[in-house]
Amino acid sequence: MILLALFAIAASGAGLVAAGIREPVADRIDRGLRIALAAALGIGAWSAAYAAARIAGASAAAKDGVLALFGALLWLSARRPRAEATPSASDPAPRYLWALFGAGCVIAAAAFVEHNRRFPDGGWDAWLIWNMRARFLARAPDLGTVFSPVLSYRAHADYPWLVPGAVAQAVVLAGRESLVSQTIAAAFGACALAIVPLALARLHGARWGLLGALAIVSVPAFAVFVSNQQSDVPLAVFVSAAAALVAIACARPGLPRGMLVLAGFAAGLGAWTKNEGLLYAACLAAGLLWRTKDARATAAFVAGIVPGAALLVAFKLTYAQPNDLAHFSTAATIAGHVFDPLRWAELAVRLLRRVVFFQAFALWLIAAVVAFAVWIRRFPGTPAGSALWLSMAALILVYVVQPLPLDWLVRTSADRLIMQLWPTAVLAALPALARTTART
Amino acid sequence: MTRERITVIIAALAVVGMLRSAWAHLVAEPRHDFIRKPIDPRYDPIRPYLPASGVLGYVSDERIATGAPGSDLDALGSRLFDEAQYALAPLLLQYPDRGAPLVLANLREPSRFSELLQATGLIVVAHPSPEVALLRRR
Repeated sequence: MILLALFAIAASGAGLVAAGIREPVADRIDRGLRIALAAALGIGAWSAAYAAARIAGASAAAKDGVLALFGALLWLSARRPRAEATPSASDPAPRYLWALFGAGCVIAAAAFVEHNRRFPDGGWDAWLIWNMRARFLARAPDLGTVFSPVLSYRAHADYPWLVPGAVAQAVVLAGRESLVSQTIAAAFGACALAIVPLALARLHGARWGLLGALAIVSVPAFAVFVSNQQSDVPLAVFVSAAAALVAIACARPGLPRGMLVLAGFAAGLGAWTKNEGLLYAACLAAGLLWRTKDARATAAFVAGIVPGAALLVAFKLTYAQPNDLAHFSTAATIAGHVFDPLRWAELAVRLLRRVVFFQAFALWLIAAVVAFAVWIRRFPGTPAGSALWLSMAALILVYVVQPLPLDWLVRTSADRLIMQLWPTAVLAALPALARTTART
Repeated sequence: MTRERITVIIAALAVVGMLRSAWAHLVAEPRHDFIRKPIDPRYDPIRPYLPASGVLGYVSDERIATGAPGSDLDALGSRLFDEAQYALAPLLLQYPDRGAPLVLANLREPSRFSELLQATGLIVVAHPSPEVALLRRR
């Protein structure tokens, strides 16, 4: 059963990537990017298929067989390339960047191990939401118990369950809980550190790829969020994978539709990872339409979102409990918050505090603000950059209208939202910086 | 701004971030922060007395946030309740207690156990550890 599950992950990941990227492998950077994408999408598809099977009442083993067959057929059907290989851009990286990257990986890995030692059940939300959901999925035969209304609202029985689904399946297959959640967290962490840098290296050269890797691995909060075993890093992986595929598609003639469908599929898996994922998927679609003015290309992206979004809708209509933010909101509280200037001011101050939160982000967020204000000085013309601005605007609005105490919510959620979007921000910002070097 | 200068600036930012990470995670926190206790062992003694599934009532000597968002989101009793729910899944813990035949008592301060029994009028089924007990109605 373990071998079948591993084959289902590998075959579905490889099949999806082969069907989406219809070019021969160009070089090692391209191969590395495809492997990272296949790993993330394979795990995501495996977990999403598990959820679909459980909602439909099908067995996990049958599901793995179908998924493996689907992946293998997809891979076989897409073996013949439709386009020429496109070599990765050339801009060699200085040696000291490689040394710094190595040091960054060692420190992040050590921090991951140390944090896991100090927090044996993961971060607060890991045992309160994600790993608890995984335990329910692994131990309860019926989804009615897993998402029972008896559960406290703090357990968030409305959250999508890509990560708990992967952990629950792995626990059942391994026959034990020890190290399972940590291993899956580490796998997503590795994907977060691989996809955006390799996409940057593919589009702009190894120098920019390594700079992107450094901008991710050296954020102090990165290793902590990976070791927390929550869904923020997996969501960052899917959103950044979608943005990376969109960026690569935009660099190809004719906006290859298969690549955009694959990007949409990654965004859809993001929607099945956390509620915010659906917002990010919608913002990516809007950014793509805004910047390309190509309705058919956007339709291809949206078609890719459909499987993940359909799963989310099926879950929300059947087993999900009411979302606490919606449950405790009324038209009066929303209107009161929107038209309260003090609330906007309080939010601005609290968010600015996160920008200068050295413990979590060192100088990275300050640098991002300075880079935008001083060097870039214009709103990004790329789909990913536009999607980021749209996402931030929507999240600010959610902060304002939501019913929970603002100080508490910003304190407990702002850092995770930043980490969800940080790899995509790196993907959007570094090419903009690279363009400023062309201007000067 | 040349790309070489951008490279140096980003590398410098990375060095600052790495030093901060190394100091916080590998020096300061291991020395000054404590290692969290694993959650499960507290509840291991009561497991043999629990049903495999179903709903258990829940009582405690600590205050628990019951739903409406407010300042009690971080209440100590809420954490205790949530940890118990995590440890005992797929059993469902119900608070406030709504008449489930069996009730889990989870105590921050074990000396308050008899006070809790008196206040709730429940009877002890099993009390295998000072902090956790299984109770039933009269």
